[in-house]
Amino acid sequence: MTADRSTAELERFLAERADHLLRTAVLLAGSREAGEDLLQTAVERLLRRWGGFDGDPEGYLRRTLCNLTIDGHRRTGRWRLRERLLRGEPMLAQDVTGQVDLRDALVRLLVQLPARQRAVLVLRYWEQLTDAEAAAVLGCAEGTVKSAGSRGLARLRELADDWNDTTAMCGR
Amino acid sequence: MNTDVEDLLREGMERFTADLRAPAGLARRAARRRRRRLALRSGAGAAALTACAVALVAVVVPGGRLQGTALSSYVVKRVNSALSAAEPGEIAQMTVTTRSAMPFDGKTVTTTAEEWSYGTQWRSVTNSPDGSPVYDEGFSAASAYTLVSYQTRTWARQPGVGRPAAPVSGPHGCGPAVAALPPLLQYGLPGLHFASSPATVARTMRAAISCGTLAVAGRQRVNGTEAIELTSRPGSLISETIWVSPGTYLPVRVVIRSGPGRLALLQQTANISWLAPTAQNLAMLTVPIPAGFRKVPFVEAVPPVLRQIPGWASVHMALPGPGRLALLGPGPLRWPGLAVHRQLPA
Repeated sequence: MTADRSTAELERFLAERADHLLRTAVLLAGSREAGEDLLQTAVERLLRRWGGFDGDPEGYLRRTLCNLTIDGHRRTGRWRLRERLLRGEPMLAQDVTGQVDLRDALVRLLVQLPARQRAVLVLRYWEQLTDAEAAAVLGCAEGTVKSAGSRGLARLRELADDWNDTTAMCGR
Repeated sequence: MNTDVEDLLREGMERFTADLRAPAGLARRAARRRRRRLALRSGAGAAALTACAVALVAVVVPGGRLQGTALSSYVVKRVNSALSAAEPGEIAQMTVTTRSAMPFDGKTVTTTAEEWSYGTQWRSVTNSPDGSPVYDEGFSAASAYTLVSYQTRTWARQPGVGRPAAPVSGPHGCGPAVAALPPLLQYGLPGLHFASSPATVARTMRAAISCGTLAVAGRQRVNGTEAIELTSRPGSLISETIWVSPGTYLPVRVVIRSGPGRLALLQQTANISWLAPTAQNLAMLTVPIPAGFRKVPFVEAVPPVLRQIPGWASVHMALPGPGRLALLGPGPLRWPGLAVHRQLPA
């Protein structure tokens, strides 16, 4: 990439890749609103260095999204997340039929994982990155990614079991 | 189960994000948000710093008088850092009012001057009581000293004189030999004509505060700002008080006072603004040569200007030439005058 690029060029890039990045952000943040906010912050950071930026903007944004999530993207954002959890507000789009199956539940349960575990699972299962690639994005060792992913899945399994038990008891 | 959860998770992610579309104009919105955040940060940051500093002073300085040294150390450290950052980056603009006692009859005279200091460049315009310029002097980026006399309508330029001296920071600049003359006077700001040569405003103040003789005394409103007041120890021959902005920690006012009969100078007040080095502000460091003014040799330009200095004639007329100023040693006999007077050729 050449240096000193214009904002219009960034707009063009975002027109192509922003949908995908927004989805990543929503999965990381736990709601559409928080995801948009997260992506906006990441774009803002990219914009700050856009003039002399020399690299892969998508990679930069993906890395920033993950870092912001792990660093606890905005205290207010986290507070809103907890607030919504406490109020039982839907975190992600509800199934239009009202039939919440395990797939929905798993994604909803994702937000209850620690940020690093969530980021690893999003990179692995949404972005389809290998553990080595995820480690490069997160700036940590591959072993850390492996253990975080393994712990994250184990926790999801527990939560899924609880969810299965609860829905069975409620006759869903 | 492992594979099932992984597959289900993957499918769930696809399904729940399938209809998500990013809003248009993300970059534009990010740029707008960044601008707003920067504006908020500068405003709120300054406000927060002000509140913190004021609260700190209010809490640690009950009744406006310092009980311990922790607060003073903290404030002095912050002022030192702020001055260090301002040294290369900002222009110090000062309005200096000097009240001096005339020798023999003790009559007081008040003079005002406008000063600018930026790196090694400085300029000082001394005004008459009615506000019109009497003389204008300065040291340019081209290392030349320029003097313009509005009385004689002459001007002169001399390379090699007027460069600000570097104050000695630390213990050497604060030893007992100079205890009677605080660093602010010892080194002198461009407008504090007592010193052997002018120093930059920021460096002189750093040298002064590094001596550890200033302590937080409380807070006071200066030019509409709740400023932190730092004063020298009680009982000093000359008292120095510096007010610093709690937002930037840069000095906004300096007052130097001496007791009656101790020094010719009774009080000197410098109100300071810190300006960005824009082309317009940098232009203020240049001594303008008014149209119609005659260029004269440097040694010829100085004496008429010296005679404009209050009390100068009655004390020093017997001394020949501009070099006579160099005969005066440091100490209470120094007199307001040309900032470069110690460097003039005999």
